Amino acid sequence: MAPAKKEKKERDDPFADLGRFSGPALYILLSLADGPKHGYAMTQDIEAVAGQKLGPGTLYGAIARLESRRWIEPLPAEDRRQPYRLTSAGQRVLRHRLQMLQALARVGRARLAEG
Amino acid sequence: MRAEQLLLLYPRAWRERYGDEFLATAGSGPMPARQALDVLFGAIDAWISADVRRITVASQTPRSEGGPMSLKAFVCQHEVPGVTPRDGLVGAAVMLGVSTILKLFGLNALAFPVSFTLSMPFWLMKGVPRVAQLAIVGGTLVLLGVIR
Repeated sequence: MAPAKKEKKERDDPFADLGRFSGPALYILLSLADGPKHGYAMTQDIEAVAGQKLGPGTLYGAIARLESRRWIEPLPAEDRRQPYRLTSAGQRVLRHRLQMLQALARVGRARLAEG
Repeated sequence: MRAEQLLLLYPRAWRERYGDEFLATAGSGPMPARQALDVLFGAIDAWISADVRRITVASQTPRSEGGPMSLKAFVCQHEVPGVTPRDGLVGAAVMLGVSTILKLFGLNALAFPVSFTLSMPFWLMKGVPRVAQLAIVGGTLVLLGVIR
């Protein structure tokens, strides 16, 4: 993909280059939206909210990507557990993503009603 | 397998950054096969993903107090530690050789993934314990065989 086109795609959808980690990344952002959590608490929350059980390999692959984009940040460790919190950039990205999903759901519902 | 054993498959910088919390999250008992496979894929990802390497190596890199990162530290973030140009050439030769052999046998779809996997010990996984190299390379080859 041409660099300009790729840049535009990333601007429109910041999750575009997360590949197979885009789903887990969204779940993690969603899980941190109501306050900081450590890895185990995130997996429990995600399972309860979305019905998805993230394995540790996927969880930390997604956490590393979110950290490198500064969408989440670590807080001081508690014992061996490392809590993370959403940054303001992470909140913006999550809000944008949820708006996209809401728009998509609206279109889907309207089309189902038509048919 | 236990989480402590599987953790050895990850790069050292990754283990230093995420190892403790990974073990706290994964628990100490034996892992179910599905979870172990997830960790194996996670370890491969940690070796090859630029994103993951950037954050784990950056957390290791010493910075001068209050000043900008030194040029050397910046350059080192983008290098695989201890890999020489000779290692790169050996890795490339292994990739070319294995690809050619597999193509001669008509195994075109496997040529790239198998040759890349077999070349990893010579550059990407240089300095990783032999057991971890064997587990990652062997596990990946078995998976490729199963997928095929």
